Amino acid sequence: MLPGFSYTRPETLKKAVEELKAAEDAYLHAGGTDLLGCLHDGVFPAGKVVSISALKGLQEVRKLSDGGLLIGALTTIRTLETDADIGARYPVLSQAAAEVASPQLREQGTLGGNLCQKPRCWYYRGEFDCLRKGGKECFAFNGQNQFHCILGGSACYIVHPSDTAPALLALDASLQVSGPQGERSLPLSELHVAPNDDPRREIYLEAGEIITAIKLPKPAAGLKSSYRKIRARQSWDFAVAGVALALVMDNGTVKDSRVVLSGAAPIPWRSQKAEQALQGKPLNAEAAGLAAMEAMADARPLEHNAYKVPMFKGLIKEELLKFIAD
Amino acid sequence: MADNQKDLYYIKDLPVPETPAAGKEPEPWDKTNIIGKRIPRVDGYERVSGTAVYPADINLPRMLYGAILRCPHPNARIRKVDISVAEKMPGIRSVLTNDNPAAKVKWQWAKGHEGPLFDPHCRFEGEAVAAVAADTPQQARDALHAILVDYEVLPFVIDERQALKSGAAKVHPDGNQVKKDSYSRGDVASGFAAASVIREHEFRTEAELHTPMELHGCVANWDGGSLTIWESSQGVYAVQSKVAATLGLPLSRVRVVGHYLGGGFGSKLQPGKYTIIAALLARQTARPVKLFLSREETFLCVGNRPPANMKIKAGVKQDGTLTALEFIATATGGAYPAGGTSILDWLVRDLYTCPNVRCETTDIFINGGPARPFRAPGHPQCSWALEQIMDELAEAIGMDPVELRLRNVPRVSQGRGGIPYTTTGLEECIRQGAEAFNWAEARQAASRMNQAGGHLKRGVGMGSCVWFVGGGGPPSTVIVKLFADGSVNLNMGASDIGTGTKTVMAMIVAEELGIKPELIQIENADTGTTQYATPSGGSKTVPTEAPTVRSATVEVKRQLLKMAAEDLNEPVDALRFDGEIVVSTRDSSKQVKITDIKQLNKRGVVIGIGYRGPNPEGKSVNPFAAQFCEVEVNTRTGEIRLLRFLGSNESGRVINRLTYDNQVFGGITMGIGMGMTEFRQFDAGQTGKLVNKNWHDYKLPTALDVPLQMTSLPIDLPDPEANNSGAKGLGEPVTIPTAAAIANAVCHATGVRITSTPLNPLQVMSSLANSRRKED
Ligand SMILES: Cc1cc2nc3c(=O)[nH]c(=O)nc-3n(C[C@H](O)[C@H](O)[C@H](O)COP(=O)(O)OP(=O)(O)OC[C@H]3O[C@@H](n4cnc5c(N)ncnc54)[C@H](O)[C@@H]3O)c2cc1C
Repeated sequence: MLPGFSYTRPETLKKAVEELKAAEDAYLHAGGTDLLGCLHDGVFPAGKVVSISALKGLQEVRKLSDGGLLIGALTTIRTLETDADIGARYPVLSQAAAEVASPQLREQGTLGGNLCQKPRCWYYRGEFDCLRKGGKECFAFNGQNQFHCILGGSACYIVHPSDTAPALLALDASLQVSGPQGERSLPLSELHVAPNDDPRREIYLEAGEIITAIKLPKPAAGLKSSYRKIRARQSWDFAVAGVALALVMDNGTVKDSRVVLSGAAPIPWRSQKAEQALQGKPLNAEAAGLAAMEAMADARPLEHNAYKVPMFKGLIKEELLKFIAD
Repeated sequence: MADNQKDLYYIKDLPVPETPAAGKEPEPWDKTNIIGKRIPRVDGYERVSGTAVYPADINLPRMLYGAILRCPHPNARIRKVDISVAEKMPGIRSVLTNDNPAAKVKWQWAKGHEGPLFDPHCRFEGEAVAAVAADTPQQARDALHAILVDYEVLPFVIDERQALKSGAAKVHPDGNQVKKDSYSRGDVASGFAAASVIREHEFRTEAELHTPMELHGCVANWDGGSLTIWESSQGVYAVQSKVAATLGLPLSRVRVVGHYLGGGFGSKLQPGKYTIIAALLARQTARPVKLFLSREETFLCVGNRPPANMKIKAGVKQDGTLTALEFIATATGGAYPAGGTSILDWLVRDLYTCPNVRCETTDIFINGGPARPFRAPGHPQCSWALEQIMDELAEAIGMDPVELRLRNVPRVSQGRGGIPYTTTGLEECIRQGAEAFNWAEARQAASRMNQAGGHLKRGVGMGSCVWFVGGGGPPSTVIVKLFADGSVNLNMGASDIGTGTKTVMAMIVAEELGIKPELIQIENADTGTTQYATPSGGSKTVPTEAPTVRSATVEVKRQLLKMAAEDLNEPVDALRFDGEIVVSTRDSSKQVKITDIKQLNKRGVVIGIGYRGPNPEGKSVNPFAAQFCEVEVNTRTGEIRLLRFLGSNESGRVINRLTYDNQVFGGITMGIGMGMTEFRQFDAGQTGKLVNKNWHDYKLPTALDVPLQMTSLPIDLPDPEANNSGAKGLGEPVTIPTAAAIANAVCHATGVRITSTPLNPLQVMSSLANSRRKED
């Protein structure tokens, strides 16, 4: 059952910011696929729900004059999946979008909500007074952690649930944010909070702040990108292990690269070690294998998730090699 | 109805089966007009359009909503329940706890295991603690949050593998062993001594949780001292008897209705505490009460397929003759006796010819939700062990897995002391299935591909089975009413649990009378208006009800002939049906249209009553099956792709090919769930609570987890001895060998034998990584 809360659906961005700022226990409601689940399951209470679904300005997808792309925060995952321009220029994003949840959820869920969604840890979502919810301990650390993180864990051992975030990180996306203080721009890499910094917070947005759009730079010449996800069943499931790749190729050599993992860490996990292993190298089986090894160099599996290490190695290698086959 | 429309009732110029004399069983059908065809469901329109009223759809005037507060701990004693706040909340009409005299009812879990309905000692997470009835479902749920319970949290055990160790918490004072069963024939020691090859392995299958689409629950309403319950149920008479016994009511005071059911799979063969609680809340408030569980509650307390730990040892001669089988298993039905090891060893005892067999099964208590029957109880677990060890043996003696099984096909039920099966299509299931699947070529092609290297490996695997029962049997009573215009009402107690029972039974009537199945009105699953039937389970509904329906229809025909004899002035035994007329075999000018028969028109109705006769003595009636599948394993990532599946089934006569194939595909899908995606996860070592009680974390297979290519191959072998319809059960054998067939295919692909379910990428990756480590 949902808790009692007040509901408002402002017509302007300014009003939405005000409404959001006015109450401490106010939550933004975009598609609601994540928020309503959390409220229903009693993960956290809400006194007020501010819907931004009336803000048509947040729904546009527009090519920018510099060749980049602006994606309104209310753009549905389905649009990302099917937009021809995105498919052609940023395949990693449309592939990631296609892997999200189920067709119904992709139709309803938005990109802004996807980036800001809450963790899917079964302790966090269940009747456990866990650290992230204000309790004393992380139950996953000594508990059932087969779906938990192998990188970046500390105090809390969730994996970040988003499929689109790693894809956008690989594309060096930035965010446009509106808040009581006006507008600001924020690299996506600075949105998510590592548990090391604060295990009770997921995103660095201040009270009253709303993501209005996601900006992608123009794809570099020679950019190849892809997203692949392994899951425990084929639909309606989060990543057990996933990788977003964006490689700038020059004559068979890797000029620049992004290797970002999903299902690996409490935040979308950029593996600079893997990127360094590829830097300036011809893309071949050896380089791919080395990058895969490097991506796992710092892995610290928990009791039940050691399988993720060989899985990520296999996955990263396989996905890199697909670029050669092309 | 206009006369020309009435003609539509009859299938023109098609003979209907002969009518046997009184007291004689009808002959097996020879050529059939309707039976065996693909006939859409008679209630398809209602189900798809939403006009079908499921119990969860029932809305009565002044109806209240019930909800149950459940214990959040695996083991706890209740010190105090404080309802003072909840009672005063808006819309709250009744709050029941163990302190309330109105709730002093005993609930029987099993013989010798009775306790208060609201037991102050909660032995599993999800046990009922209190209940409320309110004006709205929201008020009811809110009130639950306001009930304050003081629990003394007790030590618990949630893993049957730990439960018999010294120092384990005791679920009941007498300890955690429910029972130990053993079975043996021949002498396994000498059997193993005679073997050329022996293989031994430990296998485990994880618990599967019941979570059918329609939630568990009911609507209860009192009218004076009479109680009516609309329950989502597989058997209204089973609900009636349990409710009457629990509340101390005569059967005539309890009417149970269950016209539609949104999935049961064994978990709705019986009522739950929720049924009794709804009845008590309705009595307290003198208003109807609707009480359906939440999705989360179904994961905790409506049953499961018990997890099983199985050690199996098998011996074979070089020529493929099995010499000995030994099977030692433990399992758990939860906190109360609930058949944790029920028929867990049956396949070992009965499936393959083997003179020396020893089985030992131990049922163990844990602080977990009690089991309920789950599609083919015990069998898919046993199959997981037996079919994998069979493949190991085949490999060890260099024989094809199909060939090894064909060498060991029994003609008699060894588990029943060697009595013959009425019919057995096991050999044909395996032989024809392998042929239709292109087994031999597919195996070779896969091996060739795997030898060529690469990280994508192909594998082809199979398994076969017998199902413990599936012959049905008495009792059942069915009434067929033929109206003056020739149309029919079929009245039977059995539930249609989604398998198409109504359609199949309409086809039986239609076959006998020559009328269209969709013009038969069906009234079923209501203890007030239909006759006694056992619940739909055990794959026995078709073999139980179909012959009963046929007998009732034949009785109608006998009476019609008698009436026509008067009209035509001919002896009864000279008359026969010819489509819509009754005609004399001595003089074909003597004929009368059925709808013109005088007595029929005068009375307005002819009633035939059918009773289910006994099964053949000294024989066993069982269905058989085999399944074949091809997989692709990504050895880098542990992902398995199911490429194709074939299920061949021998369930006697095929009655409706559409509903038949539905069962086959549904059974394979469910087997994929057990084999690849489903598991119950307790928070072992910490709180002991269930961590995956929702549809995301408890992973049922989705459409994308099922192979595009699925084939159903019926071995249509009418069984004249089984019953007068020639049909045996189908609903359970279809899911028995699925998981094992996948495991065998994965082993064929990778060379790695994975002994625990589920075969998800987590498990496959760890197994592959472990085996690589061993090789290095
Ligand atoms: C069963 C299920 C399976 C799923 N599987 C996947 C999956 O495989 N992969 C995956 O990536 N996701 C998955 N999801 C998550 C779902 O895709 C995302 O929740 C969806 O994109 C969120 O969008 P929304 O608009 O519905 O978010 P909402 O529920 O409306 O919002 C989610 C959160 O983001 C905040 N928020 C929303 N918009 C903004 C904004 N513009 N600025 C600031 N904060 C904002 C909200 O306050 C809220 O806290 C699944 C969800 C479910 C229920």
